[in-house]
Order: sequence, then C-alpha cells, then structure tokens
Amino acid sequence: MIRQGPILSIERLSKSYPTGFWRKPVRVLSDLSCEVHANEIVGFLGPNGAGKTTTIKILNRLAFPDAGKVTLFGGQVRDGADVRRRIGFMPEQPYFYEYLTGGEFLRLCGQLCGMSRADTESRSSELLSRVGLSGARDTAIRKYSKGMMQRLGLAQALLHDPELVILDEPMSGLDPMGRMEVRGIIRDLKAAGKTVFFSSHILSDVEALCDRVIMLHKGRKVAEGRVEELIGAETLYIELVVSPVLPADRLAAAGIPPDAGYAQGALLVLRAADNGQANRWIAGLLREGGTVLSCVPVKKGLEEIFMERVGGSDSTGATS
Amino acid sequence: MLRRIFSIAANTFRETIRNKILYAILAFALFVIGMTFFLADLSVGDFARIIADVGLASIHIFGVIMAVFLGITLVSNEVERKTIYILLSKPVRRFEFIFGKTLGLSVTLLLTTLAMATVLFLVHFSYRYGGRAEVGIFIASAGIYMELVLLTCLASLFSTFTTPVLSAIFTLSLFLVGHLTKYLYVLGDQSKVEAVRWASRFIFYLLPNLENFNWKNEVAYGGLKSFSILGWAAGYLVAYAACVLCLSCLLFARKDFK
Ligand SMILES: Nc1ncnc2c1ncn2[C@@H]1O[C@H](COP(=O)(O)OP(=O)(O)O)[C@@H](O)[C@H]1O
Ligand SMILES: [Mg+2]
Repeated sequence: MIRQGPILSIERLSKSYPTGFWRKPVRVLSDLSCEVHANEIVGFLGPNGAGKTTTIKILNRLAFPDAGKVTLFGGQVRDGADVRRRIGFMPEQPYFYEYLTGGEFLRLCGQLCGMSRADTESRSSELLSRVGLSGARDTAIRKYSKGMMQRLGLAQALLHDPELVILDEPMSGLDPMGRMEVRGIIRDLKAAGKTVFFSSHILSDVEALCDRVIMLHKGRKVAEGRVEELIGAETLYIELVVSPVLPADRLAAAGIPPDAGYAQGALLVLRAADNGQANRWIAGLLREGGTVLSCVPVKKGLEEIFMERVGGSDSTGATS
Repeated sequence: MLRRIFSIAANTFRETIRNKILYAILAFALFVIGMTFFLADLSVGDFARIIADVGLASIHIFGVIMAVFLGITLVSNEVERKTIYILLSKPVRRFEFIFGKTLGLSVTLLLTTLAMATVLFLVHFSYRYGGRAEVGIFIASAGIYMELVLLTCLASLFSTFTTPVLSAIFTLSLFLVGHLTKYLYVLGDQSKVEAVRWASRFIFYLLPNLENFNWKNEVAYGGLKSFSILGWAAGYLVAYAACVLCLSCLLFARKDFK
C-alpha cells in the first residue's frame, strides 16, 4: 500500500506540568513539530528530562497537550479504537499485573485488541520466542526480572501486529545481548514494512539503527534529519594505534609532535588531523621501528552534533 | 466495547481473588459467622432472631471492609504501577476501564457475600435452631450486596482522583452518613427556615440512602411483606451507581498520567 502523507505528524505541541499550587508550571515541551513517515525507523533522542516520555504519552492519549495537534495515519489521535489497533506501544520501564503469568497477560492484551483466541495464542508463542521468553510463558510476572519485563513489554506492543510501533527507551535496562536482540527486532519490523518510533538517551544505539533522528533538548527540537546527513562525511581526525610506545626523541625524529597522542598500556594512540599528516606520520613511524596496528578515520558522531546544537540552543535560550 | 469491559472485569476479578489479604478477611468473617453456632448456649430468648441479627450484621460489616479495602485501590493502583499505560494504549476507552474495574470487583463481592450468607444459612439450618431453612438470610444479604456495589462505585470514584487513605475516609464517611440520611431529612424538616428545609432535602437526595438496602429487620421479624421493595432498591442502585460511574468517567476522561 502506498501512503502519501506521514504516518505520524506532531504539530506545535506544547505541554506544561503544574509544580504546585502557587508555583509557576514547568514547560516540558515547547512548540515541538515533527513527522514520521511509513516504513521508517525514527530515533527520538535527548538526555534525561528532555521530554521524550511526555511526547510519547501524548501520542498514546495518556497525557493531553496544552496546545498543538497530533495526527496519526492522517486522522486525529482522538479517533479512538480503530487508530489504537494500528499502534503498538511499550512504555518506559514497563510494569505488568504481577498476579498474571506472561501468557495470561498476552491473552488479556489480545482480548483488548479484539483478536481471536487462536490468533492470540499463535502470535504469543511466536513473539515470546522472538523476545526470548518462551520458557517464562507460565511463570508469574511477579518473578520476572527487569530485563524480562522489558522483553514482555516488547511482546505485548507487537502482539496485534501494529503498523506503527512506539517504544519508550526499549534498550535501557538491558544487557548488551538484550540490546542487540532488540535492535534485531526493530530491524525485522522495518523489513516487514512497519514503522518504528523509539526514544533513547543513548546515541550510539540510535546511530546504527535509525533512518532518521529527532533530537530533543529541554522540550525543544534541536536537530532533525537523516542520520547520514547529520553525521556527514566530515572526518574529525584519524586515529593511529602504534606499537610499541616509542620514546619522545624517536617520535620527534619521526616528525610527530609530543602532544599528538597518548600511551594506552603497551600501545600508543595518535590523532592525525588529515590523511596527508597520517601518511607522513606512518612513514616516520615505520622508519623509527614502530608498527602501525590500525588507522581509522573518526567521523563526527551524533554525540558531537548533539553537543554542538545544544550549546547553540542554550545561548539562544538565555536571551529569549 | 462489551467484550473489552468484560475482559477488564475478568482481569480485575482475577486480581482480587488472588489477593491474600482478601482471603484473610474472608476467612475471619466466615469464622465469626460460624461462631454464631455457639450463641445458642450463651443466650436466652429467640435464638433464631439473635443469630439472624448477629450473623447479618457480621456479613454487613465484613462486606463493607472488603468493598472498601479493594475499592480504594481499584483505579489508583493501576495508575501508580503504570499498568494502566498498557491498557489505555490498547483500543480501550477510559470509561470502559472504569466500568470494567467496577464490574470485576462487584463479581468478587458477590461471591464473598454469597459465601458468608451460605455459612449463616447452614448454621441456621443446623439442628440447634430447629432445622429451619431461612431463605430470608439470602434476601437480606442481597440488600447488603447492593449496598456493597454502591460503596464500590463510590470508592472507585474517589480512587480516580485521590490517595487510597483519603478514598477510604471518604467512602467510610459516606457509608456512615448513608445510614443516617433519614434523620437528616427529619431534622431538617423541623426547621422554621424554608431554605434550611430545602437544603436538607437536597442533601438527602444527593447522599446515598443506604437504608434503602436494609431489610434485616423485616427478615428477622417474619419475612418481607413484598418483593417490590427489592425491585425498588435495585432500581435505586442502578440509577445512583450510574450517576457515580458517569462522574468517575468525567473526572477520568482528561486525566494526565504521571
Ligand atoms: N507528571 C509530571 N509532573 C511534573 N513534571 C513532570 C511530569 N512528568 C514529567 N515531568 C518533567 O518533565 C520533564 C520531561 O520529562 P520526560 O518527558 O519524562 O523526559 P525524558 O523521557 O526525555 O527523560 C522532566 O523535567 C520531568 O521532571
Ligand atoms: Mg523518559
């Protein structure tokens, strides 16, 4: 099916929370606009307290904005049941009825989504094994670990085969294996034609996975775009790893200034500004009896871009 | 819509019957009601009357304890533990959630009331009391049950916007006042000032009149004259509960979850 407009569009969303009876409410979201298109993986990035969870709650009608509009699948978010059936949502640090087993919980979710019993059963088995919880199907959720909760959260979000999957911090609280599995699941969703919108405060998780990112800071959007556009082709520096750690006089003889690097155990790490310099250094190093173990151009990451933009937005924030 | 309400009700029912504290209260209640068996040894006079009075009063008190204990956390627990995030992100509307929760707890209370009434019935039926099958126990218990459902609706109303402790205080206050409203009416009517009379009548109709569900005396003094009183009470329950639930839904409709 070819879709014209965006699947999710957020227009000029603002939200404040009251802080007390007398005090001024705090602004959590200011004039946030963004879009998610069909079959994209979009990362929603920002440090803790940026307003990611608040935005995601608004998308799921768990909170209501002071101003602005959310449009899902081209219609208003308030459309209710039909729209909800096409969305899967996993909250931040999900928590479930501890008196149920994982299987019972998914059965409840299936009923609420209007799925048939047989459908629910087969989807549950499939998803539980996909998230690595097959063995815990009949275990009371009371006995689940935090990581298992997270996995069950993912399973319930995907149970009714939604077109748009919204995940709040799906990777936090998981071990490296778990994070890798979640990344795999998100990639599979894209391959199956779904759209994924997920938040994270860990930039490296997002960099490798997303088609596009939206960066949020203090409730304002600071950057939006395709990952490769944001990162660009720009090389920050070239990192050389050399063995052994050459003494200062031999480095000088190789034409390398003393502040160009640092020793890391038995290795010497050098940062060359560009390819020409790296090549001159390598020639000098080889002449002086060093071995170049690796030579890697280091690109500007989302982290650097984020820090740049946040620095900029902070200074404008101070004047406004 | 109905299917979703029933699913939530079934889940709430499961939640409450897997609650160990409820079992403790129920076990104690059944024990106390069972002990009326020995009242015959201690008291003189109309044994059957005493057992009906003490037994039905026990069912009433323990029923209220259970309704309030479960009702005050009915909604707030889900909000606190964020389990409601999952439910409301599904195709579930907020009023369906409120109705389902209340319905589920009503079913639990039906079973516990039935269990207590059955124990009392059996004690009454035993040889010591002449082996009379006193159906009135069940009729009076039906009235108690209707009252419990109304209290559950009130508790869940408070549970949508305040803490469990405050919900308990509000619900228990309404329980006490609800049994005294007719005195309010009588007292107010004696006033010389018309405004006071009107105000007292207004409050009388506003507050739940829980005496509408009280047939303990009729049952103890030789049975109900007519069953129309039951129908009237059921009608009152439906109308009042509907108003309370609608108010809950209104308060809940635009609530932001933390
Ligand atoms: N219910 C609430 N009441 C008051 N302040 C809140 C509430 N929820 C969030 N906040 C504040 O809003 C800001 C954004 O929170 P959140 O959306 O959870 O950020 P993130 O998910 O990006 O870490 C935080 O400063 C937080 O303290
Ligand atoms: Mg968050």
